[in-house]
Amino acid sequence: MLLMFEDQHKEHLSFLTQVSPDVVKEFCRISMEFIRKGTNPKIFQGAAQKLNVDVDTVHHGVEGLMYLLTESSKLMLNEIDFQDSIMTLGFDEDTRQTLLEIYLQNRREIRTILSEMTMDLPHYHNLEWRFDVQLASRSLRRQTTPTVLFKLHTEDSGVKDTTILQTDPVNLLHLTKVLDEALQEMKSPYCRRIVRNIK
Amino acid sequence: MDLSERGLTAGKLVDMKWKLGVAVCSDECKSLNSPFVAMTLKVADASGKISTHTFELTIPQFQNFSEQMKDMAARMEMI
Repeated sequence: MLLMFEDQHKEHLSFLTQVSPDVVKEFCRISMEFIRKGTNPKIFQGAAQKLNVDVDTVHHGVEGLMYLLTESSKLMLNEIDFQDSIMTLGFDEDTRQTLLEIYLQNRREIRTILSEMTMDLPHYHNLEWRFDVQLASRSLRRQTTPTVLFKLHTEDSGVKDTTILQTDPVNLLHLTKVLDEALQEMKSPYCRRIVRNIK
Repeated sequence: MDLSERGLTAGKLVDMKWKLGVAVCSDECKSLNSPFVAMTLKVADASGKISTHTFELTIPQFQNFSEQMKDMAARMEMI
C-alpha cells in the first residue's frame, strides 16, 4: 500500500528537499515532540530565523512531516512501502534514509498515541465494596438483611465518574459465577485459536 | 389551587424513606462494625420533576439531625 500525497502536501514537503539531512533530522525531532505534546508556535520562529526562511514555510514543513509520520504509522507501512511512498517527493538518498530510520524508531510510539484517540466508552477504574446488615427501616422493624454496597469508579476519556450500586449476597454470587464463566470462555479452544492468530 | 403553591418555592418533599443498618466490613477494613442511618428524599421541583437524593448519616450525625427536627417541630407549635 502506498501513501498518496495531495499537491498541497508535496508543496509543503518540498521545502525539506532543499535542506541538509541534519536539518531534516532536527525537523523530525520537532515533529515527534509536537505529536507527543501538541504544537508550540514559538519553535517555528527560532527555526525560521536560523534557516533564513518564512515562519509559514517552517510551519508547513513540520506539519507535512507530522502528517507523513502519522499516516504511515496509522497504516503500519512496511519499509519498502514507506520508501516507495516518499520516492515521489524528491528527497535525496541521505534524507530518505534518515526519514526511514525515524519512521521505524517512532512508529510504535505514534501508534500508541493514536490508539488513545479512539472512541472510548466508560471503562473500569476501581471498585470499592462494603458489606452491611440492615436492621430496620421505615416500613419494617427488627430485621436482619445482609446487603453489599458497591462504589464503581469508571473513567471515560480522562473523565472519572462514580456509581453507587447495591446487591444482596445471592445476586453477588450469581454475578461472580457469570463473570467467572466469561473468563473461562477465554480458555475454550475457539478463543485460543483466535488469540493465537492475533499474536 | 393554594396561592402558596404558585409562588416561588424551593421544591416540595414528596417522599422520605429511611433505614438503619450496620456496616460489617469493606474492602478497606475487615471489621468495621459501624452503625449508620441511610435516608432517601424525593423532591419535586416547581416544574414537577422528581429528583431523588440518597445519603447516609453516622449515629452522632443522625442524633444532631433529629434534635434539629425536634427543635423545628417545637417552633412550629409556637406559630
